[in-house]
Amino acid sequence: MRNAWLIACREFAENVHTKGFWLGVAMAPLLLVLGFSVQRLLDRSTPTRAFVVVDPGHVYDAAIDGAVERLWQREVMKAFGEYFGKHAVRTKAPTAADLEDTPAVDVEKMIEQFSDTNPQALEAFVNAGGLAVAMAKINGLVKPDAPPFTPPRRPFVRVELPEGIAAGAGPTAVADQLRPWLRGERKVDADGQEIELFAAVIVPEDIADHVSRPGSAPRMPSSAESVQYWAANLADTDLRVEVERAINEQQRKTEYVEKGVDAAAVQAVQRTSVPVVKLDPRKASGREQVSLADQLRQWAPVGFVYLLWTSIFAVASLLLNNTIEEKSNRLVEVLLSSVTPGELMAGKLLGIAAVGLTMILSWIAALVGVLWWQAGPQAEQARSLLDVVTRSGLLPAFVGYFVLGYLLYGSLFLALGSVCNTLKEAQNMMQPVMLVMIVPLLTMMFIPKDPNGTLARVMSWIPIYTPFVMMNRAAAGPPQWEIVGTTVLLIAAVGFTLWLAGRIFATGILRTGQPPRLVELVRWLIHGAG
Amino acid sequence: MPTASDPVLVLDGLRKTFGTFTAVHGISLTVPRGSVYGFLGPNGAGTTTTIRMVLSIYKPTAGSVTILGQPSALLVRERIGYLPEEKGLYKKMRARDIIAYFASLKGMASAAAFRRADELLEKYGLGEFARRKCEALSKGMGQKVQVLASIAHRPEFVILDEPFSGLDPVNQQVLEDLIEDLKREGTTIIFSTHIMEHAERLCDRLVLIARGRAVFDGTVAEARRIIPRRIVIRTPGDPQRLRGIAGVTGLSALGGDRHEIILADDGDADAVLAACFRDGIPLLAFDRSEPTLRDVFLRLVGPDQAAEAVG
Repeated sequence: MRNAWLIACREFAENVHTKGFWLGVAMAPLLLVLGFSVQRLLDRSTPTRAFVVVDPGHVYDAAIDGAVERLWQREVMKAFGEYFGKHAVRTKAPTAADLEDTPAVDVEKMIEQFSDTNPQALEAFVNAGGLAVAMAKINGLVKPDAPPFTPPRRPFVRVELPEGIAAGAGPTAVADQLRPWLRGERKVDADGQEIELFAAVIVPEDIADHVSRPGSAPRMPSSAESVQYWAANLADTDLRVEVERAINEQQRKTEYVEKGVDAAAVQAVQRTSVPVVKLDPRKASGREQVSLADQLRQWAPVGFVYLLWTSIFAVASLLLNNTIEEKSNRLVEVLLSSVTPGELMAGKLLGIAAVGLTMILSWIAALVGVLWWQAGPQAEQARSLLDVVTRSGLLPAFVGYFVLGYLLYGSLFLALGSVCNTLKEAQNMMQPVMLVMIVPLLTMMFIPKDPNGTLARVMSWIPIYTPFVMMNRAAAGPPQWEIVGTTVLLIAAVGFTLWLAGRIFATGILRTGQPPRLVELVRWLIHGAG
Repeated sequence: MPTASDPVLVLDGLRKTFGTFTAVHGISLTVPRGSVYGFLGPNGAGTTTTIRMVLSIYKPTAGSVTILGQPSALLVRERIGYLPEEKGLYKKMRARDIIAYFASLKGMASAAAFRRADELLEKYGLGEFARRKCEALSKGMGQKVQVLASIAHRPEFVILDEPFSGLDPVNQQVLEDLIEDLKREGTTIIFSTHIMEHAERLCDRLVLIARGRAVFDGTVAEARRIIPRRIVIRTPGDPQRLRGIAGVTGLSALGGDRHEIILADDGDADAVLAACFRDGIPLLAFDRSEPTLRDVFLRLVGPDQAAEAVG
């Protein structure tokens, strides 16, 4: 046992001293912080994009302008909400008496509305006077040392047609003339800055004749009969979606009016919305409403499955590699003149397990740390995620499944390493293993949709998949007997694999020459070392 | 209790086959305590296979090993030091760490193991490399580190498989000194080599192995006696008259002006030399040096295998 311990210590020290290990440890928190900052960074770094609208008949241009303005106002509203959340002076919890009309409560209510996605909130914000009024309202309620609020940049800005292009020349001619700008060969002028033209919206003058209505024969309209949206960037769809919605809304409004319906009534009707609430029957009565945390709880296991898979195979591969290293430089002969193959194997498994545990525990610490740091009152996502991670029992399950999964795959990899002489041989033998291993990654995204379905249940009982699939199902609360049963089966499988790997290892580790065929392996298992 | 007279190693009819190929054909020998025992043979002769069986790395197909009084080396691991034929170290470990690691696997306490590592590195000229990673060491230095790792725990029985291969002449001398030191401390040593000169200088006893068989087992002096004593002379004259001298049992021409005179055990080389002067046989050369192990080996295994061994 002392020898196994010595070997474990050496394996641990050697791997912990590598750059790769520290990179692995640092990677997780780094990715997390990046993940949180990248959204903001993207928002900040995406330049204001210029577009032109060619609408000689002025059918839709006002509607498009309004839509783009609304898009920006929504950003402003969101940013303002976050700003206030971050810098507000926290007063003591408001009492019932306060709830009436203290300015603080008023603002809280207003901010609460901002975070709502329904169109009325935005309407209210704009109608109430937008940012200027909101700023005036919070005057005195933010900390004195808070930086001044800077509204986000406009995501899109409409610019004039470049000089020399006549709007009335017809869609085809205008599009042809705009091509150099749309391809980025020429720049347009936006507030004195030369920038690329991101998109062009071209409305044919006779577009009213091509509106499709119920009763008209269904056919594919040609592009001359449609509003044309030109853009070289196909990935950023925000503007296209907004323009499409705006012109359709405008068209419908026009038609209502033509049919004699009161325009104001139409506007009012268009702003109505029916609330739809998501409920979960498994939750306590009165609290069935599905929160963001519930949704995260449903999906967080997917993240854990991925982490589990990555860490088990990263760590088990270490075992494969250093077994082959020891074998190829015959260090193993010296080792085996000092220790038994069993001690060697136990030591390696233990040492690398310590490496793996160090890695995942530091990941978990980093995850919780970053979430805790991010979780402000306004950062609901981070807060909910933190809640899910720390309170749902996913963490102990994760560590447990890591240990069992590692022992299962680690001992298999050790056995594999012991019968190969070079990394190349091992890679050849790894190919079929890889195919089998990849399965939980493929099913990872489907299982949460039907966590207690046939596929998930069947896979749970296959020990090589048990850790991943059960982790995957963890949020859905699989039946107790399944949890116990699959775990017992898994532990039995781990025991069997350790025994099996031990026999292969003892024989294979000193063997040179061709890796054994399957028949030989079976013979070793039955008769022991030859 | 083992006594000083107990042999350290007894091999009895040791045999190993791999499939249809027989690598070792029944070797029997006894290694006395405190001796330096050479395993001589060309590559592939079976020396490494024999050593691996001695260490229980391979299971013998037939025959038995008695090592330090036990049937398996695994039972006396702590008392044995072993340097394998193919040399390798953990690349990322420092020289002193690796020596201390192997010593502690052999049962030494950690602090003592580190002290011993430093002491050995200092003694054999590697003091300044003690904290260097093994990947930064030259091949020869790495090999020395490995030899030191195999003896750090003060084993009473050391087995070195091809310890000299890959070392430059300076380091070969360092290693010879090390073996001498161990011998002085009473350690029993087996080493295999295909370089006869080392064996000649270091061994008390040796076994010559060819094609899996022990073709000779005995002292160096006994080995030499396999080849009759001889004198090689160079003369432009006719040496035939030397046949008449008492103790000369044969005379043959070796080509050119070289002739070989075979002496009986009690033959006197001085008498031959005196006869040359007396009879007026002009001498260009008179070589009475003893036969080397290389000559013995040549005689025993034939030129084909010998060429491989001494090449």
